Amino acid sequence: MKRRLFLTFMIGCLGLLAAACASTPASPAIDLTDLRPLEPVADEGVIPLRIAVAAVLSPQGTLESYQPLLHYMSEQLNRPIELVQRRTYQEVNTLIEQGEVDVAFVCTGAYVAGAREFGMELLAAPQVNGEAVYYSYLIVPASSPVEDLADLRGATFAFTDPMSMTGYYYPSYLVHQLGDEPQTFFGRTFFTYSHDKAISAVAQGVADGAAVDSLVYDAAILQDPDLALQTRIIHRSDPFGIPPVVVNPDTRPQIKAEIQSLLLDLANTPDGLAALQILGFERFVTIQDSDYDTVRRVISSLEVTQTEEIQ
Amino acid sequence: MTQQTTTSLIQYAWQFVGSVNLRVKVLGIVLGMVVLLGLAVTYQVRVALSEELEEQLKDQGVSITRDLAARATDLILINDMYALHQLLEETVLNNRSVRYAFIVDPEHHILAHTFGEGFPANLLEANTVEPDSHHHATWLETTEGSIWDSAVPIFGGKAGFARVGLSDDRMRHAVNTVTGQLLLTTVMVSVFGIAAATVLTWVLTHPILTLVSAAESVAKGDLSPQVRRWANDEIGNLADAFNAMTEALRKAAQERAERDSLRAQYISGVIAAQEEERKRVARELHDGTGQLMTSLLAGLTALENASAEPSVREHAGELRRLVSLTLKEVRNLAVQLRPSALDDLGLPAAIEHYLAFCSRHYDLQINLTIHGLEESRLSAELETSIYRIVQEGLTNIARHAKATSVDVILKRRGKEVFVIIEDNGQGMAVNGYHKRVGGGLGLYGIRERAELLGGKMSIESEPGRGTSLFVVLPLEQPIPAASESLSAVPNTG
Repeated sequence: MKRRLFLTFMIGCLGLLAAACASTPASPAIDLTDLRPLEPVADEGVIPLRIAVAAVLSPQGTLESYQPLLHYMSEQLNRPIELVQRRTYQEVNTLIEQGEVDVAFVCTGAYVAGAREFGMELLAAPQVNGEAVYYSYLIVPASSPVEDLADLRGATFAFTDPMSMTGYYYPSYLVHQLGDEPQTFFGRTFFTYSHDKAISAVAQGVADGAAVDSLVYDAAILQDPDLALQTRIIHRSDPFGIPPVVVNPDTRPQIKAEIQSLLLDLANTPDGLAALQILGFERFVTIQDSDYDTVRRVISSLEVTQTEEIQ
Repeated sequence: MTQQTTTSLIQYAWQFVGSVNLRVKVLGIVLGMVVLLGLAVTYQVRVALSEELEEQLKDQGVSITRDLAARATDLILINDMYALHQLLEETVLNNRSVRYAFIVDPEHHILAHTFGEGFPANLLEANTVEPDSHHHATWLETTEGSIWDSAVPIFGGKAGFARVGLSDDRMRHAVNTVTGQLLLTTVMVSVFGIAAATVLTWVLTHPILTLVSAAESVAKGDLSPQVRRWANDEIGNLADAFNAMTEALRKAAQERAERDSLRAQYISGVIAAQEEERKRVARELHDGTGQLMTSLLAGLTALENASAEPSVREHAGELRRLVSLTLKEVRNLAVQLRPSALDDLGLPAAIEHYLAFCSRHYDLQINLTIHGLEESRLSAELETSIYRIVQEGLTNIARHAKATSVDVILKRRGKEVFVIIEDNGQGMAVNGYHKRVGGGLGLYGIRERAELLGGKMSIESEPGRGTSLFVVLPLEQPIPAASESLSAVPNTG
């Protein structure tokens, strides 16, 4: 009798425990195995103006910097604008060549290549400090003892894009001047595919040196003064033609004219001026293909050397 | 009412606790404590672990989603859908708790997901986050259990939103595993506890049980057991005290036995002397006085025949009848004092003879039944005692019972002799029988004799319903000293 009582007590305890273990919530549940085909995104009917921005800045930086301008343009043109970004300059060039984008902000090096390959057309160019030029800065970490490029022999060097004037062609040109090849001169090289990432790489000591777009570097210093303390410019190039706004040669003249006048007129409206200021530009001006001849010389000298080497 | 219930409950509990033996009590305490502690610890650990793991799961969910959002930003902006898909797959692969991950664009169109063909209904709307918030996470009830769904805006919502669902399966599994292990540990410790408690209670109760069995032996009259002193504690002291007590009891019993033996010797001596005296007086009466009176009778007969004087002859004749009567009386007296038949013819004949005398003398209807005593004779002491018991019994009846009929039964069965004397007299109150009646030894004497021979006497009687006297005597005397003294007395007396 007593033994049974004790047993009942024990079973009761176990029962309580079991009840505590198995809690059963009862609410409409989502069935993760009941898969439905996704509905296709509804077409809005209006074809947006597709503007590509080459990855001078990182994709996030590009989006933040160009959004006010694109927003303004969209309002002025009364047409949605789609921002298109790609990892490399070459990809953007391909998009322009194939007419996948209507307008593109490209890098100087990419323009030179595009103009040569499929007749990429200039639309306008930004003006900074009264001139439509920019420079290539050779930067090293602030704590680095390096004085000039020669000191970077055997170091780790960050290139930006294989098509970048300031980030690839110019430093390669400088190495050639020293009578060497980048592959052998530097201990190790890598591509960051944007200038702001190259600056960060140097600032964080990931790279011993990098060559960057002066426009990007100056804007970055303005935005984050700490960068000036972390990096040091050891060399500034001669001026090069500034990265332009381009179109496909087959773009309808009406659109070309419309966008060109919009860009050139930006500085005359408060909203347009604000958008320009964010980008660090004073205004957009027209520019000639000949303004890029210095660039062509640097590139062709490199290509000659490469051809010689191949031969 | 409630107080009564409580009281009775407490009483019941006390009865329950009190009635089980010490071994069960100790086992109960050990087992109860272990099980209680085990269950309490298990419950506590389970709750704490569940809470901790749930917190971890929540933090993990948010951090995985934020990491995913950060790494997905560039891929979304440069429209690298393949890399984005790879990133999601890697997120699921590298975190076993992640059930799904997906990315939507700022307009909440799905860009990439890990479900393969198709997308679950209602999942997209189940959790949303504001573009300017850090994250928003919630529990979703799904057919696969609870899912911790975190939503994180990508690049302030400008590039879209990342969603990751973490299943709590592994967490539950871990909690259940730990619970199971703790319960198993509890069971194992319980088993060990039972073993330890068994040994402990054996150590504790064995000396006590030894004491109990020794005490039971003492209660049955065996004073020999000595209890071993197991340990130098209270129980050890108890064992010492017990041993001292049994020693004292043994001495007391020995003294009493000696005293009883002395008393038995004395009584049997007295009885033997009495018998011897009676025998001597009877022989004297028979041989001395009887012979003299026979001679006197012969003289008176001669005188009667020789005298011619009628008055002398008449007187002589008168005297001769008187002497003859006296001689008869003397012989009866001698027989009563010590029937020679008991020595010569045996107990049955002597009893028959005596009862015939009683029947005549007291005017009683006496029925005698003798069974199993005809073939062999009993010892002299036993025969004398039985004869005296019957004699005493009948004398008693004659004096007090006012009976008309008496049944006397002598029966030998096994190693015992039964003497039963029943009358139809006025009866008596049984509790008064042991008092000495009429100055003689009476029933008290009968009991004395019976016990002296290792027998027992009992009486059944009610006023007005007659009296039954039962005496049982063993054939073999238990106390040799008593029988020795019986035979030894004549030599000394």
